[in-house]
Amino acid sequence: MTMEKKYKISYNENNVQGSVAYILVKEFDLTPNILKAEIEGDGTGKMVLSVKGEPDVIDRGIQRIQDAGYNVIPLCSHITRDDSKCWDCGACVSLCPTHSLRVDPETFEVNLGIETCIACGACVNACSVHALKLVL
Amino acid sequence: MAKTYEEINERIRSRKAVVYTAEEIMEVVKKKGIEKAAEEVDVVTTGTFGAMCSSGAFLNFGHATPPIRMTDILLNDVPVDGGLAAVDTYVGATSLTKDPKGGYGGAHVIEDLIAGKSVHLHASGPGTDCYVRKEIDTYISLDDINEAYLYNPRNCYQNYGIATNTSGRTIYTYMGKLLPRMKNATYSSAGQLSPLLNDPHCDTIGIGTHIFLGGGEGYVSWQGTQFKTTPEEVNGVPVGGARTLALIGDMRQMDAKYVRGLDITGYGISMAVGVGVPIPILNKDILQRCCITDEQIYAELTDYSLPSGRSCMQRYNYAELRTGSIEYEGRKIRTSSLSSYSGARKVAGELKSWVENGEFELVKPIRALPREAKLKSLTEEWM
Repeated sequence: MTMEKKYKISYNENNVQGSVAYILVKEFDLTPNILKAEIEGDGTGKMVLSVKGEPDVIDRGIQRIQDAGYNVIPLCSHITRDDSKCWDCGACVSLCPTHSLRVDPETFEVNLGIETCIACGACVNACSVHALKLVL
Repeated sequence: MAKTYEEINERIRSRKAVVYTAEEIMEVVKKKGIEKAAEEVDVVTTGTFGAMCSSGAFLNFGHATPPIRMTDILLNDVPVDGGLAAVDTYVGATSLTKDPKGGYGGAHVIEDLIAGKSVHLHASGPGTDCYVRKEIDTYISLDDINEAYLYNPRNCYQNYGIATNTSGRTIYTYMGKLLPRMKNATYSSAGQLSPLLNDPHCDTIGIGTHIFLGGGEGYVSWQGTQFKTTPEEVNGVPVGGARTLALIGDMRQMDAKYVRGLDITGYGISMAVGVGVPIPILNKDILQRCCITDEQIYAELTDYSLPSGRSCMQRYNYAELRTGSIEYEGRKIRTSSLSSYSGARKVAGELKSWVENGEFELVKPIRALPREAKLKSLTEEWM
């Protein structure tokens, strides 16, 4: 049974040139998808990677990445929302590429479906009450 | 048969008033017919809960010993007006702390006060023979100060535009985050629930109208700023921003869930206020206008990447907008509301229960709002 897991992977000037995705595809036949990547001027940076495949193969692949010197943190990666702050305006809804933020057609409340959230963060700075957060 | 305010209030006092929200009334009229419904229904309640920057609050701090005439006043580091009498101020909703990235402003001070929180007051003044003190540093809450009333020079915009962005970069506007190349569009109206779309020519709403304001009771004090009657009408309601209301109400009655400070990225601070206006069903024409639906109310799509001269690209009705996407020249644009429709519904529902329970009577306006008004623009004269 295949599944999808998300990781935050940090790199530095020693391994920034390497390709995490290549290792996962070539050596483990996994399906990596880079959701977000940043490189600072000093060569350090981080990316958010989703990896699809058999659970035990994913684990071995991630172990291999760690052994190659990358710092890997598994993410429960999705947006979190402080429901006590949300006022159901809907400003975030049209910004969500996966339709994880939706207006309920009956109640007109805004719902967050974390299963489909890819943690892109597009909604975060559109929230006028700082209810949406993405911790990387 | 026509009804009077006094007859309706009599029924409210004896808890016999028949009240529906502006959403519920459509079904009632469909079932009973307009004539019968107009006889039976006393009040239709409306509601809106959206951002309005032209909001604020007057406060009187009370005098310290020795007293100070405050000219430079900070509340939680937000500068508030020092241009009134010694210990009076006006907290403007959009006023910002020195650090604009703090995301905290006048609207948040107002929300915090209503929530019962303590707010840091730092004020200084020139020191005069009658007000010798030059500085004060203390904390205040609504329990410690004298008058505290919300005064919003403009609220309840009758209708508003739809914003999109044709440029190649994301822009951050008071109409929210607009993605490049028309990937999304935003709008802001409670549509069929909105007060001024249910009484589009202000036949019943006027100066003195008793309203729900931020969870407490308030009044319409004047026409709102930028009040105009000139926009084109479709189905009896304007297709853009037209009439507005100036509102006043006691902050001590309010609930912080209906008065929210907003930090709009790239723009600044604004305030969302829940406003509900009861419409007395004096006759069937008034009731007929309360039956307006989202399908009948149109707004105009404009390009906010243009600095000015934003002309209408296409009109859409609110039923289309609320589906989550609209079509423009064959392509799909996803839509976001910026005002809370579920909040507007709660406001209209809460006001309905107040009226049903005999806790809230209607007030006949003492003066009508302008029948005709147009806007002037600011011109620059070069000598």
